Amino acid sequence: MSLFHAMLPEYIVVGFILISLLGNMLSRQRHVASWLSLIGMLSAFGASWNLWSYSLKPHMFVGGGVVVDNYSLFVNLLVLLAGLGTILLGWREKRWGTEFPVLVMLAVLGMMILGLAGNTITLFLGIEILSLPLYILAASTHTALGGEAALKYLLLGAFSSGILLFGLALLYGAMGSLTFVTFAKTVAAPTSPLLWAGVVLSLVGILFKLGVVPFHMWVPDVYEGSPTAVTQLMAFGTKVGAAAILLRFMDFGFYASPGWWGPALGYLAVLTMIVGNLLALPQKDLKRLFAYSGIGHAGFLLIGVATHNLDGARALLFYLLPYGLAVLGAFAVLSLVAGDRDQVSVADLSGLAKKRPVMAAFFIVVMLSFAGIPLTGGFVGKFFLLQAALFANQPGLAIGLVLGTVLGLGAYLRPVQALFSADGDDQVAPNWTVGSAVVLVVAVIGTIGLGVYPTPIVHMVNQSANFFWLH
Amino acid sequence: MIPINWVVGLAAILFAIGAIGVMTRRNPLIMFMSAEMMWNAAALAFIAFARHWHDMSGQVMAFLIVGTAAAEVGIGLAIIVTVYHRRHRLDVDEISGMKN
Repeated sequence: MSLFHAMLPEYIVVGFILISLLGNMLSRQRHVASWLSLIGMLSAFGASWNLWSYSLKPHMFVGGGVVVDNYSLFVNLLVLLAGLGTILLGWREKRWGTEFPVLVMLAVLGMMILGLAGNTITLFLGIEILSLPLYILAASTHTALGGEAALKYLLLGAFSSGILLFGLALLYGAMGSLTFVTFAKTVAAPTSPLLWAGVVLSLVGILFKLGVVPFHMWVPDVYEGSPTAVTQLMAFGTKVGAAAILLRFMDFGFYASPGWWGPALGYLAVLTMIVGNLLALPQKDLKRLFAYSGIGHAGFLLIGVATHNLDGARALLFYLLPYGLAVLGAFAVLSLVAGDRDQVSVADLSGLAKKRPVMAAFFIVVMLSFAGIPLTGGFVGKFFLLQAALFANQPGLAIGLVLGTVLGLGAYLRPVQALFSADGDDQVAPNWTVGSAVVLVVAVIGTIGLGVYPTPIVHMVNQSANFFWLH
Repeated sequence: MIPINWVVGLAAILFAIGAIGVMTRRNPLIMFMSAEMMWNAAALAFIAFARHWHDMSGQVMAFLIVGTAAAEVGIGLAIIVTVYHRRHRLDVDEISGMKN
């Protein structure tokens, strides 16, 4: 398989970025670029799907810097889903110019690159291509809160990238190579302080991007201040990208020496699950609530890395899908309820069950999936994570997962309770929009489908977590 | 020829100065500058190690760091100017409309 064929999804996205820019020159209306980006991301989705179905053997290009395998193609599918959702949710936003679809596609491209990174150059470029458009998107509605969110995101993003880069430099100094394959061959134990410091610093950098406690301070403010559609991209896409690169970097590059990073990640996972879900309990602003719930879910995802076995990798990959679908559904309802406003509080949901029963029912489904109630995708995902933790003989992780889930249940039931309160009878009922309705229906069907019949996706995930083959 | 330890030591000192700058200063411009200093420290370390290992990929990484840093500065300054237009004062402690 040639490089062009293997990277066809990425090339399609790049091509449509250029075509959208051209379209923006010819027409000042945003829906031209929006349609172009929808078509581009859908065709990249189709190309990834097609490549996935017959690419079982990993293909390495550019001296091991680009690794196209089922793992990277599965990550492509997830982040393209997030990008499509963002375009649809932001379709009606009047304050955005024509640059919005182009920037979304650029951010999605960065996430796709994170999935196929095979050396630290690709890792760094992926993280930056993902972050730079998101800084602009966070500030794109020209509100005071948006500017504040963008400034915080920028400063902490640059800071964490600096830490990550210095860590990567130390790793390069310790091993004399930038590719993960060489890391895997060289490292058996923490032989030098240079190596040790390098791993710690690069882990801190990646965990910053994932939003793991104690590096989570930026997440709530950035999520609250950013426009709703962009927050959805951060919550779904960025998390997928960061989790994908963390899994490949640690489980592949340092697979031979899990004894000295596995326990550390395990403690962070338990801390993140409990602190994230605990802080979600008192939140009044819905986006802030989802930010803390996202932190809690980053802890759940970290279990998959901390167990450092194939079950953990599979459970992590699987969990990304129900989490992402729940994020899509929740933010679709949020953008419908918000209308032209940027802030949505729990109280804004009150009385929705009476005014828009279908919308409220869909919202309940995605909240139950977040909480991990049976018959939703979230339950199956948490079940696999629990299984992975127990198979890896780490009961502490399992206990943390159960505690975090119980705490999360309390946080997610509050918005559901608000749906049925009678306070909001004087508020006008939110109107359906086509884009949000499509996203919401897809998210709800996916969530219930995953909960009732997860077999096809489980099969797909089992084949996708095959990057251990390369050793 | 300068020993590698000195160059890496210099990079570590630059990195520490940058990190302390980000954490203690309250002006976004200075904080941003300090973060860029951390990037440059990493680039210096990459170049030093590239010479040590006689390997070109470290230098490639250093070039890419410089290029990305330029892009980041462009976007960062634009965002800082936007915030300044709204408030006419730059202090990250005052920029806190979101508190729970």
